[in-house]
Amino acid sequence: MNVFWTTLVLLSGLLVVVLVGRLMWLNRPQAEMRDVPPAPLERLGWIGLGVTTAIGAGLLMLVVLVGTDFIDVNTTARLTFWVLMLVGFGIWGASWYVIKRRSGGVVVDERDRAILARSFSVESVIVLLMLVTWTIALTEVFSDDGVMPITYLQLIFWSTFIGGAFGRALGIVLGYRREIVVDA
Amino acid sequence: MPKANISNDIRRLRFELGEMTQQDLANRAGCTRQTIIVLEKERYVPSLSLAFRIARVFDRTIEEVFEYSGEE
Repeated sequence: MNVFWTTLVLLSGLLVVVLVGRLMWLNRPQAEMRDVPPAPLERLGWIGLGVTTAIGAGLLMLVVLVGTDFIDVNTTARLTFWVLMLVGFGIWGASWYVIKRRSGGVVVDERDRAILARSFSVESVIVLLMLVTWTIALTEVFSDDGVMPITYLQLIFWSTFIGGAFGRALGIVLGYRREIVVDA
Repeated sequence: MPKANISNDIRRLRFELGEMTQQDLANRAGCTRQTIIVLEKERYVPSLSLAFRIARVFDRTIEEVFEYSGEE
């Protein structure tokens, strides 16, 4: 992968980190809310943020180190990616059962369901942005060739899948930092 | 959308009822302890059904537990 695309990918990743950090800062809990322990779903959101960030960073590293066609040409890299995905999402899924078992009483109530429902908007925005970015980037790179390597279909799918999961986790975490009014 | 100002006496009623814990109230009202905490801090406006369930725990009417002071 050439220097230009490597730099672009790394800068994009840095931009994502800065934007997410700014969002978290703008929605930081006020003083009186800081002593509220995290709800079970909130804990799941934080775990999801960590897992999807790690998987996304892993995918980025594989693309930078091996190339955009790593899934097709490099067995070790491809297996590494599958393991990363299975272990990462497996941990996220398993953590919910652990959280449920450790929580006494109700685990998800109306406030949690409202936050979960609203987290979809963050997920949607991120998925749309990623699809727009992919469409523009691939059109500009391959418009002269008239064809696009099929490996990019895998990259588009997996990166958007991970981005969507990241967006859902982020939406959950942000939701607990905002005031919620349930429409009765 | 204007923000509804709804205050409540949950914390006081909890202590009047033999110092009921937040977790105990949450279990009886069918919500999480975190929801009870943010309710007591008046940082969350519950649904009508949750408000009724909480009032029922205290054996009070909903107006005795929650107070609506208009919209800002």
